Amino acid sequence: MLAVSAAPLTNNNKDERQGEMVESFTMDVDAQEFPDFSDANHLLDSIDLDDLFMGIDDGDMLPDLEMDPEILGDFSLSGGEESEVINTSVLSVDRVDEEDNNNNTLKKEAEEADKISGSGSGSGSGSGSGLGSSSSSKGEEIVSKREDQPGLKTLRGKDHGDKPRKSSAQTKSNNNQSKKKMKVDWTPELHRRFVQAVEQLGVDKAVPSRILELMGIDCLTRHNIASHLQKYRSHRKHLLAREAEAASWSQRRQMYGGAAAAGGRGGKRDMNTWIAPTIGFPPITPVHHHHHHHPSFRPLHVWGHPSMDQSLMHMWPKHVPHSLSPPPPLTPPSWAQPRPTPPPPDPSYWHPHQRVPNGLTPGTPCFPQPLPAATRFPARVPVPGIPQHHAMYKVDPGIGVPTRQPGPNPPIDFHPSKESVDAAIGDVLSKPWLPLPLGLKPPSTESVMVELQRQGVPKIPPTCA
Amino acid sequence: MDDSSASYIHTVHHLIEECLVFNMSKEECMEALSKHANIKPVITSTVWKELEKENREFFEAYTKNRAERGSGMATREKIQNMLSSSTTIRDCKD
Repeated sequence: MLAVSAAPLTNNNKDERQGEMVESFTMDVDAQEFPDFSDANHLLDSIDLDDLFMGIDDGDMLPDLEMDPEILGDFSLSGGEESEVINTSVLSVDRVDEEDNNNNTLKKEAEEADKISGSGSGSGSGSGSGLGSSSSSKGEEIVSKREDQPGLKTLRGKDHGDKPRKSSAQTKSNNNQSKKKMKVDWTPELHRRFVQAVEQLGVDKAVPSRILELMGIDCLTRHNIASHLQKYRSHRKHLLAREAEAASWSQRRQMYGGAAAAGGRGGKRDMNTWIAPTIGFPPITPVHHHHHHHPSFRPLHVWGHPSMDQSLMHMWPKHVPHSLSPPPPLTPPSWAQPRPTPPPPDPSYWHPHQRVPNGLTPGTPCFPQPLPAATRFPARVPVPGIPQHHAMYKVDPGIGVPTRQPGPNPPIDFHPSKESVDAAIGDVLSKPWLPLPLGLKPPSTESVMVELQRQGVPKIPPTCA
Repeated sequence: MDDSSASYIHTVHHLIEECLVFNMSKEECMEALSKHANIKPVITSTVWKELEKENREFFEAYTKNRAERGSGMATREKIQNMLSSSTTIRDCKD
């Protein structure tokens, strides 16, 4: 993702091109982030970009993306944090409109920016001095009078000129200077590092700038992190709730069947986001909390009412034999369906209560698709909450149920069918961003590599499978 | 490249977790991953073992449960226990 696009940034060099672009930029600049920080001068300049651009003819065009990496590199070197801070703040000021989410943070930053720019001219220039001797004076000028276009113009002319950057759309530059929204590709690896950083800091205390530091990736800006963090937090809340619910279910299931217990939280793999590593195993250990599930699932109910649950529990034993008769179509076809859709294969299975969870589901953001646990097990009944559990204890007609002893215990044989395993595996491979269903603590990369080398596998991924 | 190794390992880890959800054994997992995801069994087994080291408790319980699951007696006992302990719920319901 390294684009040098610097569209946002780069305008410096493009004295030639300016001309026509200027006007358009001006307009845009207003709404957009500025930053062209190729120079220390610009640092401060950027604060005033709007004004600057208006009067200035330089008109760099955004499309021009050249130079920046080195310049920026320079800039960041000399500018140091201060410049970055300022830049960020400045940027954020502009971005307020664009990102509602970040409003609060941004506003604060905006205030900071003001302060910084006011007081920072000296420091800014100081830090920028490495880059440009005149920066200090320029900076001050700019800072103190935002309308000082002519002055700026001069300055601009001298340097490469900051130009209005319009481009947020095109930006793919990865300068560390904060720029407009850059499209960040949140690969699983990147996300994983992000999550690690966040967890290290503590989710609630995780601040984008610190996360950025911890991640140590140049391509990311604080803003990228900030918005990603926001999404992460909101998803996390939902996932936590769902996890908890799933935990209670899986505990129950475990009690009944013992089978997939260790797998525990079974099906919540539909959690689409980041939470798995955190939610993962520890809070849910069904194995360990055999007796604790009572208190835990009650409050966690997202789907059904406690009363419903109980009645279901009641019903389970009764229904077990009943469930033996379910038609086979349950399994493979339901599995074959895309997970998100909850086709209710066997209405006969379900007691009337089943409707309720479905009814509730839409209301709860946590359950976009009523599919969670069911998908995990062969007995899958893609209905959320209780019904699923119910299904699980039913025998999966596809598996070797008949051999189980008859009687009160539901013949639960959780041997996965090939299709389900294949589907699950395919899912992981095609959607690497899906959260880990169990969230086990990952092994350290080095120790795995060392061990693999010991076994004669020099590198992974291997070139031949 | 370190990065791709790390993410490869992460993928294998993820896949193993999925297998765990299916209550599969290590061997079953090796076979499934090899067949469906083209992952060498030795890699699967190595990552599994490393996971086991990092999550000992979990794996101990998992193994134990799997063993018990094989025996119908244990299952029946569990169910009976569960039924008797479920009286609490019933009471509440009432």
